[in-house]
Amino acid sequence: MESQFDSADENYWNRSSRAAFSFDDDDDPDDMGKSGTISDQTKPSTKWDNGIFNDDTISEASFDNSAALGTLNPLSIKAILSDEALKLVLQEQTLDDHVLAKGVTPEEELKLLRRQIQSTLYSPNLEATVQKLLHGKLAPLEMFKSLQEKQELLDTLLANGGDAVIGVLLFLKRTLNTAQFNGILEQRPKALEHYLSYLRQSGDVSNYIEMLQRFGRHQEAALRQFQAAMACSELSTRKQQLQRLIDAYASAGVGIIPLYEQIFHAALKLQLLQEKEGLSHRFGEHATPIELLFLCCTQNKNWKDQDMLKLTSPQRFAADQDISPAQYEWTALNERAQAQAYADLECIFERVSTWHPLKARQFHISFDLALAVQRLFELQAPATVLQLFLSKMSNSSEKLALAQRVKCIKAVIDAMVSLKQQQELQQLRDTLPDRSEEQFYCENALKSLQSKRWTTDNIKLKL
Amino acid sequence: MDVTLDKKLQGFQLVAQEKLQAIICSIPGKKELILEPELIKPLEHVCTASWLKLKGIQRIYKHDAKQRLPRAADQVHIYMIRSVLGTFQTLLRQLQPLAVLTPNESPDLALRMFHIICVPSCYAYFHALLEQAGLWGLVQLHHYNWDFIYLDHGVLSLELPNLYECLYLQGNTSALPAVGQSLRLLQMICGQPSMVLTFGGHAAQLLQVMQALGPVPESNNPPDFGAWLIIDRDKDYASSLLTPAIYAGLLLEVFQLRAGEIVIDNANNKIRSQKLQLLQGKLEYTPNVSASNSRPSCIRLNSACDEIYADNRYKHFAQASSFVRGQVKALGLELQKLNDMQLEEMHDYVARKLPKLTELKAKVLRHLNASEVVIQMLGNFRHLQTLEEDILNNVSRKRLLAEIDELLTTDGQRFNTLRLLCLLHLCAGVAPDELQGFARNYCNMFGHRELCVFQQLAQAGLLPALQPERKSSAKLLSNLPLPKFQQTEFQANANRLKLLTSCADAEQSAGADACAHPALKSCPSFVFNGTYIPLAAQLCSILLNANNADQLATKLAMIEGLQVHVGGQSSTAKAYAAQLKTGSTGTETADLFPLRLRNLFVFVVGGANYAEIAACDFVAKLTNSKITVASDALLAGSDLIAAAFNN
Repeated sequence: MESQFDSADENYWNRSSRAAFSFDDDDDPDDMGKSGTISDQTKPSTKWDNGIFNDDTISEASFDNSAALGTLNPLSIKAILSDEALKLVLQEQTLDDHVLAKGVTPEEELKLLRRQIQSTLYSPNLEATVQKLLHGKLAPLEMFKSLQEKQELLDTLLANGGDAVIGVLLFLKRTLNTAQFNGILEQRPKALEHYLSYLRQSGDVSNYIEMLQRFGRHQEAALRQFQAAMACSELSTRKQQLQRLIDAYASAGVGIIPLYEQIFHAALKLQLLQEKEGLSHRFGEHATPIELLFLCCTQNKNWKDQDMLKLTSPQRFAADQDISPAQYEWTALNERAQAQAYADLECIFERVSTWHPLKARQFHISFDLALAVQRLFELQAPATVLQLFLSKMSNSSEKLALAQRVKCIKAVIDAMVSLKQQQELQQLRDTLPDRSEEQFYCENALKSLQSKRWTTDNIKLKL
Repeated sequence: MDVTLDKKLQGFQLVAQEKLQAIICSIPGKKELILEPELIKPLEHVCTASWLKLKGIQRIYKHDAKQRLPRAADQVHIYMIRSVLGTFQTLLRQLQPLAVLTPNESPDLALRMFHIICVPSCYAYFHALLEQAGLWGLVQLHHYNWDFIYLDHGVLSLELPNLYECLYLQGNTSALPAVGQSLRLLQMICGQPSMVLTFGGHAAQLLQVMQALGPVPESNNPPDFGAWLIIDRDKDYASSLLTPAIYAGLLLEVFQLRAGEIVIDNANNKIRSQKLQLLQGKLEYTPNVSASNSRPSCIRLNSACDEIYADNRYKHFAQASSFVRGQVKALGLELQKLNDMQLEEMHDYVARKLPKLTELKAKVLRHLNASEVVIQMLGNFRHLQTLEEDILNNVSRKRLLAEIDELLTTDGQRFNTLRLLCLLHLCAGVAPDELQGFARNYCNMFGHRELCVFQQLAQAGLLPALQPERKSSAKLLSNLPLPKFQQTEFQANANRLKLLTSCADAEQSAGADACAHPALKSCPSFVFNGTYIPLAAQLCSILLNANNADQLATKLAMIEGLQVHVGGQSSTAKAYAAQLKTGSTGTETADLFPLRLRNLFVFVVGGANYAEIAACDFVAKLTNSKITVASDALLAGSDLIAAAFNN
């Protein structure tokens, strides 16, 4: 936020066409002395100053209140709002209007006061109070003594909504016992929402959770507990609280949402792992599973046969955290490519087919192959790696387009061969540097294409 | 009618000044103003720093939540904060030492040394908290509502960024009276509309609050608006969730908006900060450090002070960016002329034309820069658009889910990926099981702590609610492969109001592609590349095109939650038309349609977006009318989703 303001541009604050005057007290030495009392580190950020005032160019003499906005608003306020309306607006802005109007006769004043006393001491005036509250004025609530009066007050306010609902609820909480208060909330779901919102915003977590539970919203309560537990700064307390939450959630008998249960368990596992292995230095306290997986990948040495007994070997970690194959592969791909360990990529995308274990390992990828190629290209993987991935693409025309985009010549040639684009191949050969590997490859491809055509034709002839 | 509507709307600033002045001038002493940082930008639309000085504010500080500003004995500190409970409590905690310290300092209670101005309204329970903190009598509280801030031609904002969260996620209506008051002020300035159309619970409640606030003094000017339209955000989530195709909309998708101004900060823009840094390409995440040194430039989204923005704001992005590029070239040529000039010519040129040109050049370059960042950030925009179109028209759900999941894995954006899922739920309904799978992957990606988000979004109706498993029988039933002909509420309403413009049968009727293209140009759905018409725009065009109440009633029939308010009475559109026929109301039975006053005022409760605004602008041009769109804030879709993350 701070930096946002620091960068605020003076150009817009005072457009030079708008009149303003310059302040000389900004560089007043006396002034500096005062602001010097703020400790040094905060001084530059707390003082909201120079930038804005600096470009005020017109002198004080020319300053005139209405001219200050003259260019933007050549009209005066009178043109848009009548005096009466303006007075009303300003009067509504004030917080209390206990001040008696001047110039009333003593009799009238007496009447007024009597009415006021009547309504403050004996019988509360519901409508007047509601009206005042709606306008945001101070209104004493103490004379709403009976339960019925209290309920009426709340119901009238609920119909309109507004901040007064919470105000009155807090008053009710103060003046009613818990059973009564909860009874009122129970009958009025809207009021309950307001009260919960208040508790939540006030940061009173324990009360908030308690209210949620009391009104049967156990799932939300569990969520909040989870959130509170995760917010603990210390690892051991976080772990403890999570454990307690998991036990309570399983045994509460209020039904279980599988997602919540899974995440609770996963979070606990993650804490245990962090405790054991001290994983999360690089990403701070709240590393996400993917970030930790990335870290596991960095630390992993053996990609051929991952040790599934080791908790931090990527596949084991992914299995423990229920990370989807696509996520696992994508993360590992990024990590290995960033580490420039391209040889490991093959291991990541290899699957032993389950139904036929003797068969050779197969290439398998859980997301769009094109995305993998694109990303490898962004990470500046060498052309051979790109070719390897491109070679797995089945649609040749797509492959050609992609290969051209990532500038992998050999894959372009392959694609052209499979599309039988002899002419394009010849053109390509001519653009390639002489005696380069690619040119050689291209020539070979051309030859094979030509010879192949002969054989197919021969077959046709025989038939 | 000597004062134009635009001038009147700009006049909100004068009222806001008048109100602020009333507060500041009621406080005696040497005043220092301490502002919550987020209030500074909107406050700049109300007054200048020099204006504040003139009103007796000696110095202005930024409020630091960690540390209290020390105060000299004779100074009066005026804090200005948003009325957010958390902020208020922090401030009270900061002021807490006063309660013990100062029994002898101010014997005169009227002369309080501390004041807190709450924007937009000082909630009733703040007083109770003040009392509890032992600060009653030492600290004085004030309301301050700056009402509508005129951001651009036809765009007003209350700048209340947390209203969506409070109303739709927490069911807390605390801010409604303040909004009601602002609308009431609009009534005072622009007169009472002959009819108000509300759609949604909050909208109706807002109107009720306005009525409860009491009558408005008669305006001496003739009324400006023929009708008001108040819409709840949740009645048209789609226009927030879809990615807009227009320039202003996309700027907001990528850059942070603060009070009508965007910051072009490539290192830290909205899209980049949503991604997990680790999984971005290597090249992308290194320049962070170097870029942050230079000061990011800003573009003010106001057509009066930026002609390039004025020309392009509601154009299709491709069109706008090529226009900007063309401008850059033209300017380059213009400046080249300088080389071929004689000395005298050059003098003249430098004196007269050059300053203008350089100013224009700076502006153009800023736009060029911005549009280039947008292009870079949006990546495969066409893919996203076809995905969104398929979601809207519910084309093969399974594939859509898989694609969203793949996006999460390979280009995970904290808010935008979730936004697509929400859109899918809106249009096709996401089953709890499907959500579960997605949520699992999402939490893996962004941390387990984000688990609460799903419950929050369910609260807003953007995702299905997860139900605990209880009995196995219920589960069996849902597993039966029964054919489902369910339509979501969104789809039903969208079909009734003909909001979906790209669905299969519509295309067939339009015929060949050649015919479809001009259709795109004469339809407000251009803001979403011809796939969807924002609800607000459609309702506006229905209102403006209705020739009598019957027509309105048939067009709006069957839509629940829509109410017509005429002369203090509210009814459905149908009942209104029927009432007119029987003529039972007595005195004034004249049909309001066709609307004689062609100006409309649209208020969106819970954040408008530029796609809506542009579409309304387009409808206004078609029907030769004026539509002013106002809201509590301008939000891009990702901002809407981000609200669920504030816990």
